[in-house]
Amino acid sequence: MITTTALTKSYKHTPVVRDVSLHCEPGTITGFLGANGAGKSTTLKMIAGLARPDRGTSTVDGRPFVELPNPTRVVGMLLDASAMHPGRSGRATLTIAARMAGVRTGRVEHLLDLVGIADAADKRVGTYSLGMRQRLGIAQALIGDPWALILDEPANGLDPDGIAWMRTLLRDFADHGGTVLLSSHLLHEVQATADHLVIISGGAVVAAGRLDDLLASSTILVRSPDPGALAAALQAAQIDYVAGPGDALTVDICGGRVTTEVLAGVARDHQVLLSELRQSETNGLEQLFFSLTAAPAATAQEVNA
Amino acid sequence: MTTSVSPRTPAPRTSALQTNGFDAGPSAPGPIPFSRLVRVEWSKATDTRSARWLLALVGLGTVGMMLVPVLAPSTFDQTYTSYLAVASIAQVTLLPVVAILMLTGEWSQRSIITTFTQEPRRIRVLNAKLAAALMLGSGAALFGGLVTAAGLALAEASGRALEANLSVGHITGYLLYLLLNVLGGVAVGALVQNSAGAIAAYFALNGAFALLGTVSTLIADWIDTATTWNWVLDNDWSGHVPQILVSIVLWVAIPLAAGAVRTVRRDVG
Repeated sequence: MITTTALTKSYKHTPVVRDVSLHCEPGTITGFLGANGAGKSTTLKMIAGLARPDRGTSTVDGRPFVELPNPTRVVGMLLDASAMHPGRSGRATLTIAARMAGVRTGRVEHLLDLVGIADAADKRVGTYSLGMRQRLGIAQALIGDPWALILDEPANGLDPDGIAWMRTLLRDFADHGGTVLLSSHLLHEVQATADHLVIISGGAVVAAGRLDDLLASSTILVRSPDPGALAAALQAAQIDYVAGPGDALTVDICGGRVTTEVLAGVARDHQVLLSELRQSETNGLEQLFFSLTAAPAATAQEVNA
Repeated sequence: MTTSVSPRTPAPRTSALQTNGFDAGPSAPGPIPFSRLVRVEWSKATDTRSARWLLALVGLGTVGMMLVPVLAPSTFDQTYTSYLAVASIAQVTLLPVVAILMLTGEWSQRSIITTFTQEPRRIRVLNAKLAAALMLGSGAALFGGLVTAAGLALAEASGRALEANLSVGHITGYLLYLLLNVLGGVAVGALVQNSAGAIAAYFALNGAFALLGTVSTLIADWIDTATTWNWVLDNDWSGHVPQILVSIVLWVAIPLAAGAVRTVRRDVG
């Protein structure tokens, strides 16, 4: 389990991360989504003990990261795939990580094979593409057979094949009870990989929850052959609506208080005939993302409310 | 290029699920033993092409300097101790650079991110780098001793009479002299945490105080390591211990302590 509580950090009086609280459960992949500069990397670095928070705490496996005796065996990290010595081969890089972690060096060969860079294992990392470095970085994160993974933009530089491969790997890892926290600025990437989502904008969490919930429509479309009667019934039941599309009415779910069932009940009570009653078309994560990150201050209040 | 993951799924060790023969070895790991950290730091300092070139340069420099008293006997005292001093010339120029790079390399390459996420007790990493640097310095001293012996053998084979004035004190002094210069590099590297900056600072400061030492005996006798640490090399301790200690405090203890504080506190990445 990976948990943060109100992590907050400023650089030179500029707030970079504000009250970020995360909670990643075993068996899940949490996508940490935000535009570049939103504070994702800083948050992950604070979890990893690389940056010191001004306020707030974070734990991995119930303990602050810096108190883990041999963290590689608990949580695998890929924070920056370009932060490797260019003069060392992929195998040598991985061997050093294996020796630090105290794992059998035979695991190095397994992992080189698993991440698909066995053929380039003896080439120097300086000659690797970013995608190959990401693969090596994932191998490095897995070296200690951890039960959790923290990956910062792991899809960067990977080709479509590589991205599909990584999704499968992370899904497998989570399905075996592992905890995954990965950051991305790419909506479709997170949408395809994660089952939990935390959206960060301007250093603050603006939305968090299960992907399905966040994707679920927030409005219900209701239609009656007698729109006037329907409108009157909704008013009587103190349910807000807007007219449209067409002669239908659109009702806000008000955070789940209003459901299709509730509306059906209202229609029955007022003896209004309904010809259509369904969730509105979902706009997808993209619209959610842009709506949340475009006007962070105002939207944050609404979403958190 | 893409490998199927299904047969070798990385499985969390804490789960009851089988690990599919993919386990990492002994589980329930305790803290990383310090000896392992030192071994890893030693590898990192010696396993790259650039590191090996630098070490080869130290070796070649040591051998090259030894040729001077062997081939041009009139320019040097033909004594065992002066040969040993010659062995140290190239070493004390280049070993501090090696030591600096051992401390700063990972900051410049940013692989320190990986190192500190594998061992978040940063002071242990710093200590391991320090220990590896001292090991390297000791190895260089051994190598210098062998080169000196070879140089002396060559000189004697050419029919020269050399004064065999080498004592345990001299050999110890030579070893300490090399280690002090290594520590000087370690301290600057630990503090500056940037390869180019640390090397520049090291030579600029040493040069500056050597220069000031020519106009002020006070500086020469207390701060300029070319004077104070040379007493160590010459096994000339009498009356010089306070000066030697002061220059150790200034060039090693203070920057190393400040470097340790900075290492522990600095945000990485």
